[in-house]
Amino acid sequence: MSKMNEGNKPELAAQSSNAPVIQVCNVEKKFRVYYDKGYSLKDKLVQWGRNRYQNRYVLRGVSMDVQRGEAIGIIGENGCGKSTMLKMLTRIMYPDAGSIQIKGRISSLIELGAGFHPDLSGRENIYTNASIFGLTRKEINERMEDIVEFSELGEYLDNPIRTYSSGMYMRLAFSIAINVDADVLLIDEILAVGDANFQTKCFSRLRDIKATGTTIAIVSHDLGTIQTFCDKALWLSDGKAAAYGNAKSVVESYRQYMNEKYIASLRAHEEAERTPAAKAKAATSEEEQSPSTQNASASEMESSITEIDYNANRFGLGDVVITRVTFRQADGQIIHTLVEGEPTDIDISYAVHKSRYAYNFGMGFYTPENVCLYGVNTQLDGMEVKLTQDAGFVRFHMDHMPLLAGHYYFQCAVNDINGVPLDYYRRYMDFDVSSSRAAIGCIQVDHQWEIF
Amino acid sequence: MVDTDNDRRIKLLKGQSVDSNKRYWHTLIGYNYRVKNLRRVNERMKTMQAIYRYREMIFSLVRRELRGRYKASFLGFLWTFVNPFLQLLVYTLVFSVIMRSGIEKYYLFLFVALIPWIFFSSSVSVGATCIVNQSSMVTKIYFPREVLPISFVTSQFVSMLLSFVVVLLVVLLSGLGLVWTLLPMLIPIMLLEYCLALGITLIVSALTVYFRDLEYITGIVVMAWQFMTPVMYSVDMVPENLRGIFMLNPMTSIIRAYRDILYYQQMPEMNTLLLSVGMAIGFLLLGILVFGKLEKRFAEEL
Repeated sequence: MSKMNEGNKPELAAQSSNAPVIQVCNVEKKFRVYYDKGYSLKDKLVQWGRNRYQNRYVLRGVSMDVQRGEAIGIIGENGCGKSTMLKMLTRIMYPDAGSIQIKGRISSLIELGAGFHPDLSGRENIYTNASIFGLTRKEINERMEDIVEFSELGEYLDNPIRTYSSGMYMRLAFSIAINVDADVLLIDEILAVGDANFQTKCFSRLRDIKATGTTIAIVSHDLGTIQTFCDKALWLSDGKAAAYGNAKSVVESYRQYMNEKYIASLRAHEEAERTPAAKAKAATSEEEQSPSTQNASASEMESSITEIDYNANRFGLGDVVITRVTFRQADGQIIHTLVEGEPTDIDISYAVHKSRYAYNFGMGFYTPENVCLYGVNTQLDGMEVKLTQDAGFVRFHMDHMPLLAGHYYFQCAVNDINGVPLDYYRRYMDFDVSSSRAAIGCIQVDHQWEIF
Repeated sequence: MVDTDNDRRIKLLKGQSVDSNKRYWHTLIGYNYRVKNLRRVNERMKTMQAIYRYREMIFSLVRRELRGRYKASFLGFLWTFVNPFLQLLVYTLVFSVIMRSGIEKYYLFLFVALIPWIFFSSSVSVGATCIVNQSSMVTKIYFPREVLPISFVTSQFVSMLLSFVVVLLVVLLSGLGLVWTLLPMLIPIMLLEYCLALGITLIVSALTVYFRDLEYITGIVVMAWQFMTPVMYSVDMVPENLRGIFMLNPMTSIIRAYRDILYYQQMPEMNTLLLSVGMAIGFLLLGILVFGKLEKRFAEEL
C-alpha cells in the first residue's frame, strides 16, 4: 500500500516488513449481564449500589499476529466471540485486559451504507459515507471515478437513493467501502451482496486489494471462502482460541468438529423419536415367540408401512440402515471439504437387520435451497444390489468431483427394489466444496473454448 | 529465600507507589498518580488530532442535516429562510395586536433574542439524543465519537446563521437600521455561544447513553432555562436583589449582548460577558473530559 496513514510515526515505513500489522495480545473482554437491566433513572436510583449483574467473559486470552498483506479468517459457532473480536479490532469496543495494536488506516465492511440519507442522491451519499470512513474531500474526489465505475450505477447516480433497489443500494455501499484504500480491512459476513456476478467481482477486487498489501480480517460462516481466501484462521470457541494457524488446517478441524456435532445432534434426535418405536418393537418380538409368527410379522409390516413419516428427515422400515457416510480423497483419507476436480469416493456404510431380495442405494447433492443438483441410484444405473453380508459399504466413486465452491448437503437412501424406503436420509450432512475455478454456478462442465 | 523487603517494594511500585495505609499518599516521586493524568491528557490530544482528520465527516454530516431536512419538501432549502420569517410574522401578530407589551417594537426585541436562544436550546435538548439516535453507526463503525455532537451543534449553528440573514434584513427594514460598526461584535458572541452549547451538548449526549431519562429531563431543564434567561423580557424586570444570581446564568449575558447589538444598538457590557467566556471554556473542557471517559463503553450500552 503506497498510502500510509498520516497518523503513523514516520519511522514506520522504514520498519522491516515482518512486523505484524495487527497484533492482538492476550485480549480479554467481559460483558456485564444484568439480571434486570434498567436504563432509566428510576431503575438506576432504585437499584443504586446493588450490583445485580454477572460478568460474562466473551473473550479470554486470545492472541494473534497478522502480517502485512495477509488475510485472517475468524470462525466459530454463534456466540463464540467472533463479532466482539472484530469490534475490538475496529476500535468500537476496547479490551478489558491485553492489548490490540493496529498499524495504519482501518476500514470496516461491517456496516455498509452508514449515514446514507434516502432523500439525497447517490453522489452526495458517496461523500457522506466515504467521509465516515475518514477520507478527506480531496481523497474522495480522487476515488470518485473508481467508486462510480465499480458500483455499475451509471445514470442512476444522481437519483435520490430512496428510489434504488436494495441491490443497487448495497452495490453503492460496497463500492465505497472497498475503495477506501485502507491498510487494514475488516469484513463481517458481507459477501452476500448483489447477484452472483457482483459477488464474483467483489471477490476478485478483494484479491487485488490483498495483493497490494492490505491486511484483511474476515468473520464468516462461509468456510469455503475462508479456506480459499485466507492465509490464517482463528477458531474461537467459548471465548478462547480453539485453534490458530494455517487456514486450511484450522478450517478442516473446525469442520470436522461441526460435522461430528451435527451428526451427534441428529442421532440424539432420532434416539428420542425412536424410543416409542423401539418399545413397540420389543413388544412384537415377544409375540414372535408365539406360534403365529408369520401373521405377527406381516401385521407388523403393515403397521410399519403406514407409520412411515415421509416428511421426516430420516424415514424407512429400518430393515437395512445406513450407519455412516464418509467422503474420502484418492489416498483413502477421510475429508470433510470436497475439492472440485479431485477424485473422490463416497462410502455409504450399511447394516442389514432383515434381509430382502434386492436393494437400491441412492445419493444426491442438494443446495441449501433444496435444489437437487444431481441424484442417482443403483437401479437407475441398471445395477442389481444383493447384500450377502450383515454389514458393509457401498462406494460411489467420482473421477472428477464436479461441484463448484459452495455449501451443499448430501442426501442418501436405501430402498428395496420396489421403492419401499428402508432407510432414507433427506439431509444426511452438510458439506463445503472448495475450488480454484472462477466459474460461477454449482457444477463444473468440462469444456474448451475454440475460436473460429 | 524470600526477600520480604523486595516483595513489599514490588507491591508498592505496582500500585503506583500508593501507601497501602494512606490513600492518595504516594511515597515515591515519579511513580505517583499524576502519570495517569498525563497519559489521559495525551490521549485527549490524540482525539483532537483524530477529530481533525475526520473533519470531512463533520462537514458532510452538517450538510446532510441541513440539506436532508427539507429535501423532500416542495420549497426545499428555501424553508431555512421561510421558517424564521413565518415565526416572526406570528410573533408580530400576537404581540402587536393581542398581547400588547410596553416595550417598543416588541416583536424585534423578542426575535433578536429568540433566534440565538433556539440555537442553544435545540443544540442541547435535541443534541442529547445525537448519539443514541445514531446507535447503528456507533456500534458498527469506528470514528471519533465527538464528531456526532460537534456536527449536530454545528448544523444548528449554521441554521442560526442562515436565520440571521432574515434577522438582519428585518432589523434593517423595520426602521431601526443597523449600526455597521457594531455588527463584527456578533462574531465573537456567536462563537462564545457555540462553545457553551457544544460543551453542554457533549456532556448531555454522553450521559444520555447511560441514563435514557436524561433526554426528557434535559427538555424540561432547557424550557425552564429559557424563562431564567431574558429572552422574552428584559433584565430590568428582574428584582434587584436576585439580579446577582441571575447574571450567573451564562446565557443571560450572551442573549443580552445580541440584543444590545441589534436592538439597542449599543456596545454590549463586557464584565458579565467575561464570566460567560470563562464558563463556556469550563463547560467545553469538562465536556471533552467527560465525553472521553464515557465514550469507551458506548457500543456496549447502546
